[in-house]
Amino acid sequence: MPVWHDTTKQLVADGKLVLLGVTQEQHPERCRLFAQWRGFNWPILHDPINVLESSAVPTVVALDEFGIVRSTRPNPKTFATNFLAKTFQDDPAVRATPVRYGPTHPPAFDKLIAAANGRAAGDALTLWGGDKRLNDAIAAYKSAVKADPKDAPAWFRLGVCLRRRSELATREPDDFHAAVAAWGTALDLNPNQYIWRRRIQQYGPRLDKPYPFYDWVTDAEAAIRERGETPVPLPVRPDGAEIAAPLRTFPTDATAAKNPDPAGKITRDKVAAVAEVVAVPARVKPGQSVRVHVTFRLKAGGKSHWNNEADPLRVWVDPPAGGAVSARLIPADKPATATSTEVRTVGFEVKVPADATGTVRVPAFALYHVCDEVGGTCRFVRLDLTVELPVRR
Amino acid sequence: MTRSLTLLSAVVVASVASAQAKVGQRHPDFTLANIADGKPVSLSDYRGKKVLLIQFASW
Repeated sequence: MPVWHDTTKQLVADGKLVLLGVTQEQHPERCRLFAQWRGFNWPILHDPINVLESSAVPTVVALDEFGIVRSTRPNPKTFATNFLAKTFQDDPAVRATPVRYGPTHPPAFDKLIAAANGRAAGDALTLWGGDKRLNDAIAAYKSAVKADPKDAPAWFRLGVCLRRRSELATREPDDFHAAVAAWGTALDLNPNQYIWRRRIQQYGPRLDKPYPFYDWVTDAEAAIRERGETPVPLPVRPDGAEIAAPLRTFPTDATAAKNPDPAGKITRDKVAAVAEVVAVPARVKPGQSVRVHVTFRLKAGGKSHWNNEADPLRVWVDPPAGGAVSARLIPADKPATATSTEVRTVGFEVKVPADATGTVRVPAFALYHVCDEVGGTCRFVRLDLTVELPVRR
Repeated sequence: MTRSLTLLSAVVVASVASAQAKVGQRHPDFTLANIADGKPVSLSDYRGKKVLLIQFASW
């Protein structure tokens, strides 16, 4: 998009042209940061659920004063002559098909819910209901896919909402896993949908990534600060799979890491923390790889905290028979403070055997230091992880 | 290197999506939130002006 921004800057300033952006991504703040970095000063709209039904980005379409499409692939070098300088006439007989994409505004939530059109209600609730109506949006999309299990857009949009909720305090334990499963169902129904495919790849294994997605974020923030500005804050910072570089061969663990608890003697943690394990994609083909996301949270209502004075939280992974893992011993980041209560994440990748069937089980556990309460007992404990990878044939 | 890969991929797939908007047809209206302030903006707000409608992502 920088080429169009640069080419049309003066035309936009002179009021001869409007640049209208639509961003197809989960998090609007990331696009705001990108726009700030690049100096995009034209309106950019957020389409997290792909109501525009685009199958890929980027696309550029030139519209005349009447909203009629005049070019679907304008050339920056010739469009001033071929589009801007031309005079177009309206033709009332030319109608839009469909008349519109997505809900009107202001949204008629109750009317849409009452109409039992799950997808339409979900769209309105997702786009205009805010976090307060997110549960209603999820319920609406669930009703849509129950009524029509082949409603691929509803599956994709359900996944968007579940992923969004997984990042909120109102999350349900299975949200991220359910989001990945919903996206997978959508893509199975329409494998040519690149927008949907990218949403899975954003969190998926490096072998399946076309590019790193959000590796530009730290460069952008540094450049913006150098200009004396404050970067747009990101409520959910990209990390792990979202910034990892693509690979063409599965990484081999070259370290000589040894199992830190081979006999399983370390006391199991039953009170302090819980782990959520999500594999992306939700079902793996034989011989292919998945990204495993492990999220550790201190139990709600508990008084435990991480003790950061010793080793960081570590995850040990054994490769499945005939398969491989990207690393055996993976440490989580830890803050510089002596104690903390943050959510911790660890990611690794698993290549399943070429002859895998059923469910591949990957032995894994975490070791960490926790203290029961401020000034209380500190313990070094182990949490066994259930990493199960359903195989698709 | 990374970004050039991104742009290359983007160009390859762009031809897939551009089949949706057809020359000579009126573009369907839509209303979405502006990422700057969350306020609703419709394509039809720009009737009377020439518009370049750019769909993209920051990844």
